[in-house]
Amino acid sequence: MEIDRDDGRTPNQLRPLACSRNILHRAHGSASWSQGDTKVLAAVYGPKAGTKKNENPEKACIEVIWKPKTGQIGKLEKEYEMILKRTLQSISILTINRNTTTSVIIQVVHDDGSLLTCAINAACAALVDAGIPMKHLAVAICCCLTEGGYVILDPTKLEEQKMKGFAYLVFPNSIHSVLPEGSLLVEGEAVEHGIITSVTHGLMSVEEYLNCLERGRAASAKLSDFLRKSIKLQLPTDSFKS
Amino acid sequence: MEDKPSTSPMSFVDQIVVPGDVVIDLSTMTNQTIKLGGGLRQESDAISVMKAGKLRFSKPNKYWVESSQKRYLPCVEDTVLGIVVDSKAENFLVDIKGPALAFLPVLAFEGGTRRNIPKFEGGTLLYVRVVKANPGMNPELSCTDASGKAAEFGALKDGYMFECSTGLSRMLLSSPTCPVLEALGNKLSFEIAVGLNGRVWVNATSPSTVIIVANAIMNSETLSGVQQKIMVEKLLQKIQT
Repeated sequence: MEIDRDDGRTPNQLRPLACSRNILHRAHGSASWSQGDTKVLAAVYGPKAGTKKNENPEKACIEVIWKPKTGQIGKLEKEYEMILKRTLQSISILTINRNTTTSVIIQVVHDDGSLLTCAINAACAALVDAGIPMKHLAVAICCCLTEGGYVILDPTKLEEQKMKGFAYLVFPNSIHSVLPEGSLLVEGEAVEHGIITSVTHGLMSVEEYLNCLERGRAASAKLSDFLRKSIKLQLPTDSFKS
Repeated sequence: MEDKPSTSPMSFVDQIVVPGDVVIDLSTMTNQTIKLGGGLRQESDAISVMKAGKLRFSKPNKYWVESSQKRYLPCVEDTVLGIVVDSKAENFLVDIKGPALAFLPVLAFEGGTRRNIPKFEGGTLLYVRVVKANPGMNPELSCTDASGKAAEFGALKDGYMFECSTGLSRMLLSSPTCPVLEALGNKLSFEIAVGLNGRVWVNATSPSTVIIVANAIMNSETLSGVQQKIMVEKLLQKIQT
């Protein structure tokens, strides 16, 4: 049943995560996020006054600029920008700073698979760092479907190339709440079981997609714990009072 | 890892919260009148967080999320340092590091009339008070206190201005006086103006004092009280030798 992966991971195992925030001096918020060898740097500037053309001035606007490691951006990067923009728009509260633009710049440092999910996680951490009002956080995970129909998580570049299909899934983070258990259900399911973004490529049957969803959701709990922990670590503690 | 939070509304106070966390349940509270500060929002009976930071509670009923940023969200009665960008017939346009430029009406000065309108060129640094901060509108500033007196507000001449995070400027303004300012003030004489928007202005008779004070403040952000004092002492020893 189990399949071997080149780097000796189990199918559900993620690569080591690392996140650091507030690393750029001039940006209003910044974060780097790495999963194994894939590393992405995200910087947030703003909110700045005014929205771009064709944007709703009644709401805050988020613009995403993707900077690839080398060369110029092509169709794929444009698509990534779009996905990121939609995802970030859905987790931010856009009605607080109306008629403003927040720029998110994504710099790819190294691409070793699961690039988009890494970028989404980095962008989310950078928005937290910049203090942009958000409904909740988001954690992204990449699920791959092998030829044999197995699902593996967080694939490397090599694994990605051998795949039949893959799904990028973005989930809300698990939240802490004072409300009694079960009162935050949306149509009978917990909030963190919702999907913010789902992008699929390649061939995949419905059962296989649902399998991906289930595995991804299980892994997203780990990711969201990691995100919460790294936010806690890096918040300046006002220790001088103690 | 943290265990399951209990249902008491006090359980999140002084804890670090992240966006999405529900910190107060109004339906379980006896006194439902509470005041919400920055970083919190209400969704029917649940109060949820929209910024990462430390949840603070002040008696009797104020809650807010304390965090440190490089941008500033205007808030009524905050004192800020603004830079004049442009002057119009009715208003000066002032940059206060917020999402939109702030308006400073030309009459918002002590004894301000149409006859004596102050002249500020672009780039002038002003110590001002925020009087209006409504969403969807440019914030409005004033160079007088609530009773119409000039009270220290106005243009800051000479000196040196540097930018810091909002958390650091809040620390500098906290009472009792923060250790770094206290330690510096014991040995050196200088003037300082701190804006809640993360701008600090320092002036002294000699440029070297200005530089020492500015560097000490910028270095103190991540230090504890004792560390701040040690850092200042070392700095002062270096210049005396």
